[in-house]
Amino acid sequence: MAVTRYTKMAYDSADDLVFGQAKHPVSYGFGIKIGAGVVIPEINYAPRPGAEKDPEKLRREYVDYISKDILNRAVTAGFPNVQLETEWVSQMNQEKLSAPVVAGQKAICEKYHEEYGVNCAVRQTIPDQREADEGLRPGMGGRSYPEKLFECAEIACENGADNLSCETVGGKEFADYAVTNGDITAFLFGVGYLGSLDMTYVWQQFADIAKKNKCVAGGDTNCSGANVSMFMAGGYLDNDVQRTFSAVTRCIASARTLAAWESGAIGPDKDCGYEGIICKSIAGKPCAQEGKNCQCAHCDLQGNLIAQACDLWSNESVEYHPEFGGTSVQCWFGSIAYEAALMNTATQLGQAKTLRDMYMYTDRTRGPEGYVLAYDHAYMVGQAIAEVGNDLYLRAKRAGQKGAEIILKGYESKELPLTNKQLDTLKSIIKTLDGLTDDTDKITEFCAKEYKDTVPNYNPKNYGL
Amino acid sequence: MLDASGVDYSKILKRYDVELEVAATPEQMAAKMLPKDPVFNKVALEVMNKQIKTVGPTVAEALKERDPLAVINEGLVAGMEIVAKLYAEHVYFLPDIMMAAKTMEIGIALAEKQVPGGRELKGTVIMHAAEGDPHDIGKNIAAVMMRSSGYEVIDMGRDVPIKDVIAETVKVKPLFTSGTALMTTTMTAFPAIAKGFQDAGLNIPLMGCGGAVNRDYANSYDLGIYSEKAPQTPVIAQKILDGYDWKKIRDEWDSIVGE
Repeated sequence: MAVTRYTKMAYDSADDLVFGQAKHPVSYGFGIKIGAGVVIPEINYAPRPGAEKDPEKLRREYVDYISKDILNRAVTAGFPNVQLETEWVSQMNQEKLSAPVVAGQKAICEKYHEEYGVNCAVRQTIPDQREADEGLRPGMGGRSYPEKLFECAEIACENGADNLSCETVGGKEFADYAVTNGDITAFLFGVGYLGSLDMTYVWQQFADIAKKNKCVAGGDTNCSGANVSMFMAGGYLDNDVQRTFSAVTRCIASARTLAAWESGAIGPDKDCGYEGIICKSIAGKPCAQEGKNCQCAHCDLQGNLIAQACDLWSNESVEYHPEFGGTSVQCWFGSIAYEAALMNTATQLGQAKTLRDMYMYTDRTRGPEGYVLAYDHAYMVGQAIAEVGNDLYLRAKRAGQKGAEIILKGYESKELPLTNKQLDTLKSIIKTLDGLTDDTDKITEFCAKEYKDTVPNYNPKNYGL
Repeated sequence: MLDASGVDYSKILKRYDVELEVAATPEQMAAKMLPKDPVFNKVALEVMNKQIKTVGPTVAEALKERDPLAVINEGLVAGMEIVAKLYAEHVYFLPDIMMAAKTMEIGIALAEKQVPGGRELKGTVIMHAAEGDPHDIGKNIAAVMMRSSGYEVIDMGRDVPIKDVIAETVKVKPLFTSGTALMTTTMTAFPAIAKGFQDAGLNIPLMGCGGAVNRDYANSYDLGIYSEKAPQTPVIAQKILDGYDWKKIRDEWDSIVGE
């Protein structure tokens, strides 16, 4: 698949960004249209421990229990649309475990669509088990995880995936070091540049595999980088990572997540990519988001704000188990589906932008991570990326700089409170980023020397360098 | 965009992080904990202030005047204990711990050269991320904290086969072996590992950790104990050193990690 970098914004202004509407809607599955005027709930789940022990047990868990419960609840409560997301457990890199699940979910979706008219589809998110020290590309030896990655894509698409997605790990060796050591240069180089190279490489092939099987190549996320940063920054009681650091890593990560869409994926991207709003502002493709209705999985500081321009609204993930109100997937599906219904009601009443702004203002000043993702700010970060869209390193750097600038202005205008340490970290980040070269070759040479001992797993060959 | 000029955000949220920020500096908070001896004081300050570039010369100077083991324990380790305290009090963050630990390790490496037979460590532990699980950031942080607390850590890495964990534990017989998992389907390695320990006649605790693991799960199989956060790991290790077995760790877990 050819690569086309974004150098222009899809929207003329930030105000055009709203939930349920994307410039380039995507259709698939049984009657699902994403970004075409309604927000669709996307329910994600994890099987009970032990279900992975044999193929039939796993198939039953995913198809006969989880999928059936969800689709039944859709009919019971009158929800017209639902997307299921199966994030493959690691053992599903074996075809005997994954193929029956994918085929079974396709079949049960078809059944409910035909019997009840429920519009439904399944996103199959395959596992990226690659490890930097074992090689990220096929033929590099190790445990053949790169080969397995592409085999998983084939298995998913051949057996009926509606949407092929992945959480790729390119740049993770730098991201882990960067987050634990508060090193923004390492994050920029690893996630912003190397991660974009890897994502481009991987998604060109995913897009070809999906096209061959009439499947939609959805998208990616920087779960392994910016989310690690955000989750470790945590809430007001946590003190592992500064939230200003986390906010800037999110902006840098957006330049990376965009690369999947530039390499043939057409959306929607992954729910855990909080950077989705930035990518949507540039590309106009629909995005999945998660926030207040994913408390089953984690707590963050922008639970309402992040709904502002979503096209799919997700619960992130919940382990399958009984609750008072049904099974866990039924309860959390109800939670996201009612929220989506509220958004769709606002759209029908002509109040979508009002609700969008209410979501956004609720969390705008809860912390720098939400502040920088408020749609007006996200659009500005998007512009910074698109202005130099052909340069993978520079656009990631510009995204980080713009994010940091937005947060500092917010603090100086007294709109966004920061702790002294958050401010100190922010100023240090600005100084560091401003001091870095704009030249890709020079930063590559610099980082190879700078992180020789601290990121020993870095292998330029993983990125075609 | 809606006009938000009249919005009173205090009716919507409370920025506890801003309102409750500790105003004291590390120096002020550490004043009472710093060693009185001027030589050890200087060494401890190097660790507390994360002086990677100058800790070497400072330790070299200290070694001319003091016993190397004392430089380690009363200077470098004392400095790291202050860092742990500052972290617990929300003055320091994780990057501070990582940098301080690195500073301490540089100093220890220098001082250890002058200790016949090397420094005596508190004990050995084995750490790994579960088979099929590539997520090891939590394990890496816990490993730094264990090393900083005076333990030898055998880090087996990530995605480690069950049989390898059992074999290494049988060979080394550590204080405990820990496993981290971020997925519900990889944490199922833990009961299998624990069974392997039992089959080999070992009564060594298997610490279950990681995002997918909760206390109930870690306690659902014999030998299983739980650590929720990296800083709890050396605290639990100390109890095992004190003679606690896995049952007693479980029984007193709340008070142990709450100490």
